[in-house]
Amino acid sequence: MTFFSSSKTRLALLLVALAFVATACAASAGNQMFFGKTNPPTGQVMRYVTGSEPESLDPQIGTGQPEGRIYMALFEALCEFDPRNMEPIPGIAERWDVNKDSSEFVFHLRKNARWSDGEPITARDFLYTFRRGLSPELASRNAYLGYYIKYAQAYNEGGVFVRDPANNTYLLEKDFAADKEKSAAPAAAPEAAPITPANEYPATAEEPTPDPDTPFHQFLHSPNRLILPADETARAEALKDNAKLKAAVEGKQFEPVKAEHMGVEALDDYTFRVTLTQSAPYFLGLMAHQFFHVVPQRIIEKHHEAWTQPANIVTSGAFKLKTWKPYHELVVVRNPHYWDVARVQLDEIRFYPMDDNPQIMNLYKAGEVDAVLNHTVPVAWLDLIEPLKDYMDAPEAAISYFQINTTRPPMNDVRVRKAFNMAVDKVALAKWRKTKPLTAFSPEGVFAGYPQPKGDPFDPVRAKQLMVEAGYKDAAGNYDPKKFPIDEVEITYNTQESNKAISEYLQAQWKQNLGLTLPMKSMEFKTFLQSRANLEYKGLARSGWIGDYMDPVTFLNLFSTPKGDNGTGWYDPKFVEKLNEANRTLDPQKRYELLAEAEAILIAAQPVIPLQTDATKWMKKPYVKGMYPNPGTMHAWKYVCIEHDTSKWDYGVPKMTYDTQSRDFKEREKELPVCSK
Amino acid sequence: MLRFIIRRLLITIPMVLIVITLTWGLIRLAPGNFYSQEKKLPAAIEKNIREKYGIDKPWYVQYGKMIGNILRLDFGNSLKYEGQRVNEILLNTFPISATIGFLAYLLALIVGITSGTIAALRQNTKWDYASMGLAMLGISMPNFVLGPLLVLVFSLTLYWLPPARWAGFFSLNVILPVITLSGVYMAYIARLTRAGMLEVLRSDYIRTARAKGLRERDVVFRHVMRGGLMPVISFTGPALAVLVTGTVVVERIFALPGLGNYFINANLNRDEPLILGIVAFIGIITLVFNLLVDIAYAYVDPRIRY
Repeated sequence: MTFFSSSKTRLALLLVALAFVATACAASAGNQMFFGKTNPPTGQVMRYVTGSEPESLDPQIGTGQPEGRIYMALFEALCEFDPRNMEPIPGIAERWDVNKDSSEFVFHLRKNARWSDGEPITARDFLYTFRRGLSPELASRNAYLGYYIKYAQAYNEGGVFVRDPANNTYLLEKDFAADKEKSAAPAAAPEAAPITPANEYPATAEEPTPDPDTPFHQFLHSPNRLILPADETARAEALKDNAKLKAAVEGKQFEPVKAEHMGVEALDDYTFRVTLTQSAPYFLGLMAHQFFHVVPQRIIEKHHEAWTQPANIVTSGAFKLKTWKPYHELVVVRNPHYWDVARVQLDEIRFYPMDDNPQIMNLYKAGEVDAVLNHTVPVAWLDLIEPLKDYMDAPEAAISYFQINTTRPPMNDVRVRKAFNMAVDKVALAKWRKTKPLTAFSPEGVFAGYPQPKGDPFDPVRAKQLMVEAGYKDAAGNYDPKKFPIDEVEITYNTQESNKAISEYLQAQWKQNLGLTLPMKSMEFKTFLQSRANLEYKGLARSGWIGDYMDPVTFLNLFSTPKGDNGTGWYDPKFVEKLNEANRTLDPQKRYELLAEAEAILIAAQPVIPLQTDATKWMKKPYVKGMYPNPGTMHAWKYVCIEHDTSKWDYGVPKMTYDTQSRDFKEREKELPVCSK
Repeated sequence: MLRFIIRRLLITIPMVLIVITLTWGLIRLAPGNFYSQEKKLPAAIEKNIREKYGIDKPWYVQYGKMIGNILRLDFGNSLKYEGQRVNEILLNTFPISATIGFLAYLLALIVGITSGTIAALRQNTKWDYASMGLAMLGISMPNFVLGPLLVLVFSLTLYWLPPARWAGFFSLNVILPVITLSGVYMAYIARLTRAGMLEVLRSDYIRTARAKGLRERDVVFRHVMRGGLMPVISFTGPALAVLVTGTVVVERIFALPGLGNYFINANLNRDEPLILGIVAFIGIITLVFNLLVDIAYAYVDPRIRY
């Protein structure tokens, strides 16, 4: 080759190659403690990768975590999440009263809470927000979160009350419960007064202590009205099997359930009351959910769907929107009208919408971003990343498990289900996936003080015994895998590399420990969801769950109904009764114990094979303070800041608990970091 | 000429409508919906959503409405991204894709034609082998390999250039995407230029021009290039249309908020108005650029008349 004949060119090539090697070595030997550059940005500007492009800036529309984190900067709710443990802390409500059985909450709003345009935030704004969220016209996918509120589900689903035109009374739910004798519906006295805006809000707004027992309140506490579907075919279906009800409905009027019937009430400008259908002590935690963040009625009614555009939007949180360039960046700046603006340290947050993990990690390494979202560190990189001091690893309020179709043999036998569970070494699995093993159903190490029951440990010997007891044995009484109907049990999962890896692991475990080689079945995601929901799968199906709020109930509730996300066919009234009993209990510790008992009932029946509690797996630069790997990766942005003083940097995961024993957040707040000026 | 242009422009209208109809049909066939997700939606909530977006109506009503919108050049609102207008999305993203694409196009043309010309003029020398060797490398290295390699060296090892994201039209962030995008085109153009020029260099009229004693510069620029670049023109016309309307891969590698990135996400989200808007837009751009190529032919080659 003539090209390489020149010795000069050869020398040049050699030099280039050397330069490459030298720079590569320099980079890897340079900074062992952190991943890549650690030069803080100038001033208090934070650059954060929040995950995929937000669907919407309307907190009642977007359902994902990426949006949720942006909403936490822009909007505020009655309660907010504690930055360390995600317990509910005062937001726009500065305090609240809860009734005896945790079914009614009165929130006292701050008098100095303001929208980003300076207008005051009042209870009426919350009234609007709650009604809007549940309205069928908004069609929010998160509306189910509000179903705890009285008549909210009926309003959202389009239900009707049944009114007797003769004496102006309504049919009541209790009279038509399946097992009860028919009795004449007693006329509920408070209902005689029709609900009109005039008497719904007391005119005595200036009074310091408003009389809480309004006619509307009496209406909410009168016996539940019967609700039927508004849609005629659905109504006919509901009446079909209930002759008694059908007869009672004859000749009555149907009155649609409206927003005004929902159990939310503005007692005065700064008092807001929520009445629920059932006891729900965790409701405060739910109040911090993005779905309940307060939105501006004036602006929405003026601009409709375009209200979230930068030119129109008005926000209630610590920050306000500056620019929004989809798929590029969303910039928020400090809201000068925010009630606690003195505590807000960042001048600006730039949210980068990205969802490609290696790309996000590249930006992080090059020092182009200061922190990234959860699950960004690919499993294959963990050996390199795990020892570094900017790796944020902590248990997450998310679990992965396999659900079992308990309606089909052989998995309808609890002994078989238990044997399958015991034959899986979850510790080894967790070690390989860098997560935490899970034997029960609620995530481990997430709910402080929750006496979580333990499921069965890995025990292949006992597993085989159980299989023998279930009848899979030879003439001598020894375990015989050949007797087991292998074709009836498939390991079903939706097509994705990590699911496949875990399914293969399970397959190998059952082969090794039970001598069963089960078939694997991979399905397209949307088809898989359908097969799971309709119990069409054979044997086992992959599943996972992320908590909506910080309470074990968000996990246990999956089994409070035979339908919905349950997907196993297992349903036990004893379990539901225990759940309800726990929720009626006032003492938090006693309540946790009852919940643990309910969870024990669930594990004893083993409709699922729990596998692991997920881990947060994200990174932040050491100069970012006030940001914690909490169980939901939800950041209270007003406490985050950029520390330019290297001596105050975080080396490793920052402290996640408080020194003070006080339950008062004002005391705890003092322990949260403030960056040097 | 004018009649030709008008006729070609009029043809684009039915062409775009056909493309739109096919796309619309394909979206219908794809499983899933823009609102489907892992958590099961209660039936009532799903019904509310279907009513709100009019997908409970019969298909011909939906089709009619869609065609009506497109004839008015209003593509409606994105389904996935509440409150964002498709027209605005096109307006915001196209300049970014167009900038990257056009710069890559210029780079490919300049480097490609220069190195191709040098290779042709110095045939079978080290100049020829060097540029053709690099061109071969460029063709065989797809941009999804070249991009991450450049990032690894210049962003993650040397820390010279940012590894991804957009930071305005005049920023360092533009450099790596432009080089990545132009790589393959540069290589093709270099090879096409060399081949085209070699053929012309051997023709009689070049020998005549030289025999007349014309300066070598005039021979190359006025005679050789004009004929030798014909294949380059027919290649670069459609290439330019592809480049400026967004190249999905490069926009993904460098997280650029361009048309291509939106297009792929719109498809994954089954965001019908957005998909149709982008398809119509790209369709129009492609047809217009093809027209421009035809006009350029007439200019470069006097034998062509319309």
